[in-house]
This record gives sequence, structure tokens and C-alpha cells, in this order.
Amino acid sequence: MVRRLEAMREAVRERRQAAERQSAPPDVLAECEREGLSWMQRVCRLFVRQCEAERPVIAPDQQIVFTRTVPAVPAIYSDEAWRQRFAGGKAHELGPISNICADWGLVLAAGLNGRRRVALLTRERRSRDPEAVEFLDGAVACIDALMALAGRYADEAERIGRDDVAAVLRRVPAEPPRSFREALQALRFLHASVWLCGHYHVGLGRFDQYMMPYLERDLTAGRLTVAAAEELLAEFFIALNRDSDLYPGVQQGDNGQSLMLGGLTRAGRCAVNEMTRMVLRVACDVTMIDPKINLRVDRDTDLGLLEFAASLTRRGLGFPQYSNDDVVIPGLLAHGYSIEDARDYTVAACWEYIIPGRGMEIVNIGAVSFPAAVDSAIRQGIEAGDSFDGILARTRANIRQQTRDRVADYRHVILPPAPWYSVLMTDCIERGRDLSCGARYNNVGIHGAGSANAADALVAVKRFVFDEARVQPRILAAALAYDWRGYEEARETMAAGPRVGNNDDDADAMLRFLFDAFAEACEGIPDNGRGGRVRPGTGSAMYYVWLARGHDGMREPAVGATADGRHQGEFFSSSLAPSPGTRSRGPLSVLQSFAKLDYRRVCNGGPITLELSDAVFRDQEALAKVAMLVRQFARLGCQQLQLNTLNVATLRDARVHPEAHRNLIVRVWGWSGYFCELAPEYQDHVISRHMHEF
Amino acid sequence: MAGPADQTGIVFDIKEFAVFDGPGIRTTVFLKGCPLRCAWCHNPEGISPEPEVLHSPAGDRRVGERLTAAALAARLNRQGGILRDAGGGVSFSGGEPLLQAEFVEAVIDRLDRLHVLLDTSGYADETRFRRLLAKVDMVFFDLKLMDPDLHERYTGCRNEPILRNLQILSQSECAAVVRVPLVPGVTDTAANLEAIARACHSFRRPFRVDLLPYNRAAGGKYGACGRRFSPGWDESRPANADTTVFARFGIEARVV
Ligand code: SF4
Repeated sequence: MVRRLEAMREAVRERRQAAERQSAPPDVLAECEREGLSWMQRVCRLFVRQCEAERPVIAPDQQIVFTRTVPAVPAIYSDEAWRQRFAGGKAHELGPISNICADWGLVLAAGLNGRRRVALLTRERRSRDPEAVEFLDGAVACIDALMALAGRYADEAERIGRDDVAAVLRRVPAEPPRSFREALQALRFLHASVWLCGHYHVGLGRFDQYMMPYLERDLTAGRLTVAAAEELLAEFFIALNRDSDLYPGVQQGDNGQSLMLGGLTRAGRCAVNEMTRMVLRVACDVTMIDPKINLRVDRDTDLGLLEFAASLTRRGLGFPQYSNDDVVIPGLLAHGYSIEDARDYTVAACWEYIIPGRGMEIVNIGAVSFPAAVDSAIRQGIEAGDSFDGILARTRANIRQQTRDRVADYRHVILPPAPWYSVLMTDCIERGRDLSCGARYNNVGIHGAGSANAADALVAVKRFVFDEARVQPRILAAALAYDWRGYEEARETMAAGPRVGNNDDDADAMLRFLFDAFAEACEGIPDNGRGGRVRPGTGSAMYYVWLARGHDGMREPAVGATADGRHQGEFFSSSLAPSPGTRSRGPLSVLQSFAKLDYRRVCNGGPITLELSDAVFRDQEALAKVAMLVRQFARLGCQQLQLNTLNVATLRDARVHPEAHRNLIVRVWGWSGYFCELAPEYQDHVISRHMHEF
Repeated sequence: MAGPADQTGIVFDIKEFAVFDGPGIRTTVFLKGCPLRCAWCHNPEGISPEPEVLHSPAGDRRVGERLTAAALAARLNRQGGILRDAGGGVSFSGGEPLLQAEFVEAVIDRLDRLHVLLDTSGYADETRFRRLLAKVDMVFFDLKLMDPDLHERYTGCRNEPILRNLQILSQSECAAVVRVPLVPGVTDTAANLEAIARACHSFRRPFRVDLLPYNRAAGGKYGACGRRFSPGWDESRPANADTTVFARFGIEARVV
């Protein structure tokens, strides 16, 4: 990386940009109240005022500008009135729409003036529909506000003698970009501005697809060299890290700036292009948390590309994360997506599949707690003198109940108006309907959390309590109640059962049973209340902690000791991984275990997590083998894979000497973060995760 | 003729995705027991032929499991699809797999079209070596010290049987690589490397040579299996990974 960018990255890491920040956001509430504005009007006003409040900041050597200076998103309602907005319904997380992906390609190609014309045309057509008129007026106001902000940046650039920057900003984002630089600059404004009105987890979508035309034009015309293009791209990536501490998330780094590479075009052709490789290359160089890279693969993906991706994995950032087209696309088809849209999938913030511009899906409405479902089935089953099949039936019923409860919570979810986000979607302004009213796809996603522990518990009960009768049912019930205190022998027996992640058919059958029951429960809900379906998933984000320790963000109670020999308070498995403490046979067995799920039904996403020792990445030959491993992941029919590199000694040292490891990045769940900024319990979990040495 | 299915052996580890143990994606079976006592051995838990318990701060761990040939082969065959598709197979390492040659043979007889690699110190009687050689697709042959006295001093054994088996290997058609652990001041001396190069050169067919720089983590596991680690060399000195001496003899050598 060139010196200029190294200095820029250093400045971002030290958060020097924070010095430019204003002390408070503008007061928007007062005027909203004074003028008695509607919700839609308030959100527009918010966006307009936020844009106006932004003060242009252009560092001397910056080519891609926009640095946020407004430190927060101001309120548009009093606390009480805000709660009132959701009376009789439910807010999703913080309220504003999050965790989806805009149609960046469309907006770039049309320019904001193009989008403005569309809004005005629709307004003419729908002029007798006051709701549409209000929405479209708002959308136009938002477009104008962002163009004005870009204009003020251009003025500032001229003032300080940066005519190059000014020239770019006189063109974009108002008009379609003519060059790669203009495209990146336009995207920077469009993408970063979404956060200004309270949205978050704003995905970047299929970056290599929508950026390639601009890159290609410049390269073929000889206007740009590959090296210069890489430099621009690197600067754009660094810029994505500049405001991220202002973005809401569970932990620093959890901000959803994910992008997708490769896969198929909407027409079904191979979508890998020069941009795909350039992103992998540049991400290797930049080595920062954002953007989070995803790569679509299938059984025949070129090993050269996979090797390329493996060299990014070697950097230890925890990406790329892989998705397997061979199973993801059929899964989406089975859930009502058109073939073109299914081929166009990306990930939302972490791992859930979503169609850019067309999905107003709430991909994570919470989790079904498999450990809770299994645990109460075991306890009640023992009480009632059930057979093992009886316990399975109870488990199935519990899963169904939890699923229904979760979905019922969201049946009356209320999404605030989103006029600016609507401009960026495929057809909201075309139809004159705000994004909050829905888009082409309106499914919700739920995850099944703690699956490996729950399956291990079931198989241990089947084997040791029923088949071999080595632990009396009453003893097990008492042992669980006392967190195994005084029952160490029973604990040892139960803990010695087969485990998920070892390609053991008995354990894996229980895993499959859990997800089949979960899929059945979701399929039993034909309408989620938003005109969509319910997609079951395999991710578990922070639930591996929450299910064990309790959290107010969850309805399910924390689960105590479990029948797999786990003590109360110990973490559960995260996404698809063997339960903590399992001596796994290795990565092949892990893949084989999780290949047994039916991903046509369980299609929301959620990765198999494999940790490889960084020693694996010693030479090119070993990189080639990591590439082969990813190919096997695809060929076995697994869905999603997160491959992490870990050096346990380094992590331990970082706990003791954080100052020496300021830049150490680790994968946490669907995102990566600076290790030293994580809360201790997350640090512990990262350290204890399964590691497959060479 | 297939070796008996109920033949048993003692295995101390089975490692999937063993990226340094041969071509493609491989699973390596570590057989317990070794006649040598290399001072730098990084698998000390593989030396004793019997199962044992390792003690460490993380708790006790039993190493060494008695398996039947049929059971081990079945387990490996369950991954056959992956191993074949990814240009890999199964590697037998140790310890010294030749010490349990009958067992290894019985396992190999039951493998389903899998490429087999033997990773050996070469210390075994000739007939055993010949029999196993006939069953494997590739050999990693570890060569440590050419000087018989030094060999005895650092490994506890004379090297004549090893050199004889290397000769036998050179006369076979089996794919083979000679692997030299580079222990600073012990095996990486100019004299030893030259002697190895000269020996490789003298055979009917030249071997490829892989040089393996000494791994400082080697001492880590000694305490856990009740052995003393007393390196008679300077651990902090980088190994002399000199490939030029091999080039002089027309031997292809690389550092891995
Ligand atoms: S031959 Fe290998 S296993 Fe045996 S003692 Fe030497 S290094 Fe250890």
C-alpha cells in the first residue's frame, strides 16, 4: 500500500477523525413538534437537517471524501411519543430499518437526478393518493438534501484548491459516474448517508457486480492503471472504517458493512470478474475490519480463485466468508424467490441471505433456543416417564411453540418510514410506496441457536439413559437440578457421548432432527403477518452467550446445566460448530456432520465455523490445500463457511498486553472486530474456540 | 492377501487436513511406538508403544487407543470421497509405523481406493520394510545423520538399517521424498548435509529432499509425558537451511 494510504489508515485506527466531530447533532425535534409533522415528514426533516449539519472535511491527500461530523442521530419524537408510535405493535431492535441491502447498482447507474425523475413521474401518476404524495415529496427532499451536501463538499474542495475532488462531486452522486473514482465517490455518499437517519447494518451487496462496469471502462480506455484502481479501492475501504465507531452494534465492529463477491449473474452466468479478484487483493493489503468480505462459491469454483481467497483468510481477519450457490439458490427458490432474484443473493449484515434492492426482510427476529427446547423436554419427559420418542415429541412441540411465539412477536412489527432508503431500493419510488410498507420479499428469519449442545444432549440421553440404561432418569433429573454437584460420575458418563462435528451418525441424526423440526415449525406458518414466510436459519450471533447467561433482549430464560454434561453458565455452540470443549476429529468431520442438514429448508444462513491454526498457512502449497478444503465444503453440500485463523498464543498475550496488539483483528460472529476492544467474555470465547491444527 | 480384520494396533492421534503430510487433503494416522529416541523428537507421546496418560495444566489426557484394522479403515473410508476428490489420501506416521507394520498392512488392505503415504524413520528390518513398501504409493523417508556414531548419540540407534532400507527404496518405483530435520548444530552441519546429498546422489534414482527447519515448540510436550527435554544444541540459533550443497549434486532440495 502506498505511503499516503498507510498514513490514512493509521489516522483512522487512531480515530483522529473524531477531532472533526461536532459536539451535538442538530435539534430536529423542536421544529417537528412546532410544525406538527407526520412521522414520514419527520424522518425526511431528520435526513435533511442531518445533511445540512454535516460540515465538509477534506484531508489534504484524500481522493474519496466524506467523513461524518455529526456525532449522533437526533430524536424526532419525545421518548414517550416514540414509544407511542409502536403501541399495539413492536419495534424491531432500535426501530429504524436495518440489516438489508440497497440496490446500489441501480442508484449508481441512474444517478440521484435519475431517481428524482422517477419519483416525480410516480408523483404525477399517483397525485390523488395523499400517502404516496407525502412519501414521494419526502423522497425528493432527501435526494435534494444529499445532492446539496455533495455540492457543499465540492465548494469546499474548490476553496482549498482541490479541483480534482470538486470535479468529481459536481458530477456524482447526482449523475451517473463516468469513472471508477466517481463510482466509488458516489457510493461513499450514498452508503454513509443511510446511517444519518438512524438506519444501521447497511450492507454493501454485490460490489464486484455493480462496480465492474466502471472499472472496466476506465481500464479499457487506458484512463486508469490497475495499480491506480487498487489505490482508489483501498482508500474507499479505509473510508468505510472512518465513521464506524458511530454505528450501532452489539460490540464495536458489528456494523454490517458486508459485501459479496462472485457467484452467478441474474442470467445464470459466472459472475467472477476482475473486480472480484481486486477486492480480495486490496482487502489483503488494507487489513481492516471493514468491509467484511463474502465469496460465493460452488462445486466447480476455480481453485485459483479459492487460493486467492485463502490468502485473505491467512491475514486472520476472519473473512472471506463463503456461501455455496449449489445449496443457497435452491433454498431460496424453495422459499418463493424467482430464479433471477435467487441468483442475485447477497448477505445482509452478517450471514443472512437477502436480495439487494428487493428484500425488505427482517432476517433476524430472534432465536429459537434449542437447548431450552431439549432441556425442558428431558426434564418433563423424565417426570412423566416418557420413552425417548416421547422426549423427541416434546422437543418438537417446544420448538414449534418457540417458533410461533417469536413470529407472533413480529406479526405486528412496525417499521418507521424510510424515504431515503426507499430511494435506494429497486422499486419503492417506482410504486410510490415507502420501504416500510414492504418490498418484493418480506420474509422474516429466525435462527436455531445452540444446536450442537442440544443435539449432544439428546444423543447422550438416548444412549446412556435409554439404550444402555447407565444413568437412571431420576439421577439425571437431580444432577441437572444441582448443576451436576454430587453427580460427577453421571456427568462424566453423559459427557462421553458422541458429539456433533465428528461425523457420527447418531449425534448428527439428532442435529438433523432439531433442524427438521424447526423447518417444519416455520413451514407451518404460511404468513408471517407481513405478507411473507418464515425462514429458519443456523446462525446464532450473540445467543451462544445470551442463552447461557440470560439477557433482557431475549424471551427465553437462560438454561442451566444440560444433559451433554455442560455446567450452568458455560457457553453454547455458536452457529454451526461443535459444542465448546468437544475434541473434534477435525475439519473434514465437521463439514461432514453439517452437510447432513437440509439447507433447502433451513435457508436463512448461519455459518459452519472452522478455526485453523495460522501455522496451516505456511506456504503456497498449504494455501492450495485450504482452497481444496473450501471446494470440499461446497461439494459436500454445506451452506456457509466461516474460516478463521487463530494463534492462541497471540490472543493470550493480547489479553495481558493489549497495547502491543492494538491492530489484532478476530472474527467474532458474522463480523470481525479488534480483539482488544471486545468485552472479556467474547475474548474468552474466541480463545476457546475449536482450533484445527495442521 | 488381506491382513486379518481383527488385527489391532495402537494409534495416538488421527489428524484430518494434515497439510504437511503429503499431496492433497490427507488424514494422518499416528502410530504409537518408536525404536528411536531422537533428542529433538516433537512427538514424544508417540515413543512408548503402550497407551499412556499425559499430565498437563489443562488436565489429564489419555493417549493411545487400541483399534482394529477394520475399524480404523472404516473410519478412514468414511472420508474417502473427500480424500480422493481432493488429490489426497491417508498418511501413516508416528512414532514409527513400521513397528506396527502388520497392522498398517491390514488397514491398507481395507482402504477404498485411497492414496497411501508412509512417513518413516526407515528403522526396521528389511522384510517388513519391503512388505509395506509394496503396499504404499509414496514414502517420506526421514534421514537424520549420516555419521553412524553421531546417529547413535542423538537417536540411540545405529543408522545402518536405515541406510539399507533407503537403498531398497531407491531400487523401488515408489514415489519418495527424503526428509531431513534441520537441528541447529546437529543435523544441519555442512558435513552432514553434504553426506546426505552425496548419498542421495549415489542411488540409481535421485530423491527429492525436503529440509525441515527445527521447530522450537518441540520441547513443549515432554513434561506432559514424563520425559526430560534436554536439547544439546542452541535452540535459538536458526537452522542452516542450505540447499546449494544439494544443487551441487544435482539433487532437488527445498525448505518446507
Ligand atoms: S524417529 Fe520420529 S518419532 Fe521416533 S523418536 Fe525420532 S523424531 Fe520421534
